[in-house]
Amino acid sequence: MSARAQTLLWVAQRASAALLGVCVLVHLATMIYAVRGGLTAAEILGRTSGNVAWFAFYTVFVLAIAVHVPIGLRAVLAEWAGWRGRGRDPALICLAIFLVYGGMSAVKGVFR
Amino acid sequence: MTIASRNFALVHRVSGLVLALFLPLHFWALGQALQGEAKLESFLRWADQPLVKASEWAIVLLLAIHLTGGVRILMIEFLPWRDWQKTLAAVAAATALAIGLLFALSSTAHAQNWPQKSVRFIVPFPPGGATDISARMVGQKLTEIWGQTVVIENRGGAGGGVGAAEAAKAAPDGYTLFFPSGSVVTANQHIYAKLGYNPEKDFVPVTNVVSGPQVLVVPANSPHKSVKDVIDAARAQPGKLTFGHAGIGSQTHLAAENFVNAARIDAVQVPYKGEGPALVGLIGGDTAFAVTNVAAAIGHIQSGRLRALGVTSKTEFALLPGVPAIAKTLPGFENTGWFGIVAPTGTSREIIQKVYQDTKKALESTEMRARLYVQGLAPVGNTPEEMGAAMKAESALWARVVKERKIKVE
Repeated sequence: MSARAQTLLWVAQRASAALLGVCVLVHLATMIYAVRGGLTAAEILGRTSGNVAWFAFYTVFVLAIAVHVPIGLRAVLAEWAGWRGRGRDPALICLAIFLVYGGMSAVKGVFR
Repeated sequence: MTIASRNFALVHRVSGLVLALFLPLHFWALGQALQGEAKLESFLRWADQPLVKASEWAIVLLLAIHLTGGVRILMIEFLPWRDWQKTLAAVAAATALAIGLLFALSSTAHAQNWPQKSVRFIVPFPPGGATDISARMVGQKLTEIWGQTVVIENRGGAGGGVGAAEAAKAAPDGYTLFFPSGSVVTANQHIYAKLGYNPEKDFVPVTNVVSGPQVLVVPANSPHKSVKDVIDAARAQPGKLTFGHAGIGSQTHLAAENFVNAARIDAVQVPYKGEGPALVGLIGGDTAFAVTNVAAAIGHIQSGRLRALGVTSKTEFALLPGVPAIAKTLPGFENTGWFGIVAPTGTSREIIQKVYQDTKKALESTEMRARLYVQGLAPVGNTPEEMGAAMKAESALWARVVKERKIKVE
């Protein structure tokens, strides 16, 4: 992999980590508000349903996860499992696609 | 790289690996659960299992650990801080996050684990009255939902005051709930000079369970065949006609007082310890009439022991065909009784919400609606906030009526 691509992955890893930090805090605040407010799952879904802002927020959350997790795993697989071959990156891309698919299914359920 | 940095990096990676395995599973389960209401309910039941709960806690801790390492790495790379300062800041941030998450989870767990034993419904009237009937019907359904027995305890006396005082002193742990008729928590405070409880301070609203009209009834052998007959008889002999009720300040007392007031007649009230005993007295000829809840009287009406002369709803009531509305004789007359759940003040909001939600769910079943219908009751299931607002408005109304009718117990 070229130095430029390596740098790009490094930046993406850090940027997604920073984004995830913010997303986790917002998600946590929402959870506490909902739980302390005594909202049931059905009531929470009633509030998120059709709300574009929540849809955008959780989409960003899912995309940040889909970027952060495979890049982190890439380094771990290389250093701990010695897997640096050609199959690694396609496997990680598949993982990223699965995370986007699974995450967006959940987001869709929250939004609809 | 220092030993601290190496350890942080190692922990960060291990926790990251576990989280990476968990996330696809989490997304898949959530995606499945959010496809429909039925799936969501089954997902929540699954998530409530002890093993799943324990793994949730483990994931939260892992997330906190992973974030600690992540924050530290970002600090090392982007902030010119000393090593120990970075460690301290990262640990502090992660600790705050972990505490927040655990707090959120534990409060959910508290409500989700309730009830762990039987739940007591204190009914402030003896068996046989509408309050008792309503409590037993809803209690039976809640027993099925909670998997714990709802025990109905009848504590009659003082227009509901005896049971209310006992419920007010109960531990606010959700295992003792109070099931009064409306007047016990909206009218008694204006009637009784000395009350063993304070409806506003000792209880918090949960939900109004059912409501229904009342019915003017006389014994089967009574000479009165219509509402007009009762009014005429009372006018012919002022202060002679008697009416029985469930106790001073009870819903049936206030309904009858409302009728007497609207008809501008003079009748003598006879308090009993509950609606059931009041109806037994009426059937036995001890009193002349009663304005009682349909739920308590319907059996007696159908068996021919009591004759229904008029209902307190605005129009004729479907369950009592052929029985006119009292409003036909006294235009504008209307009176509705309700029965609900309140909890001792201090009961956690999560438990209150759970009781409200589950009661609402119980009331939504077709079987329950059918059973309520034949008792002359309609399901309500409003939110604690709506119930609180309605109670406040009703309390103001009864304060005025009680003052006008000079109903006072010293």
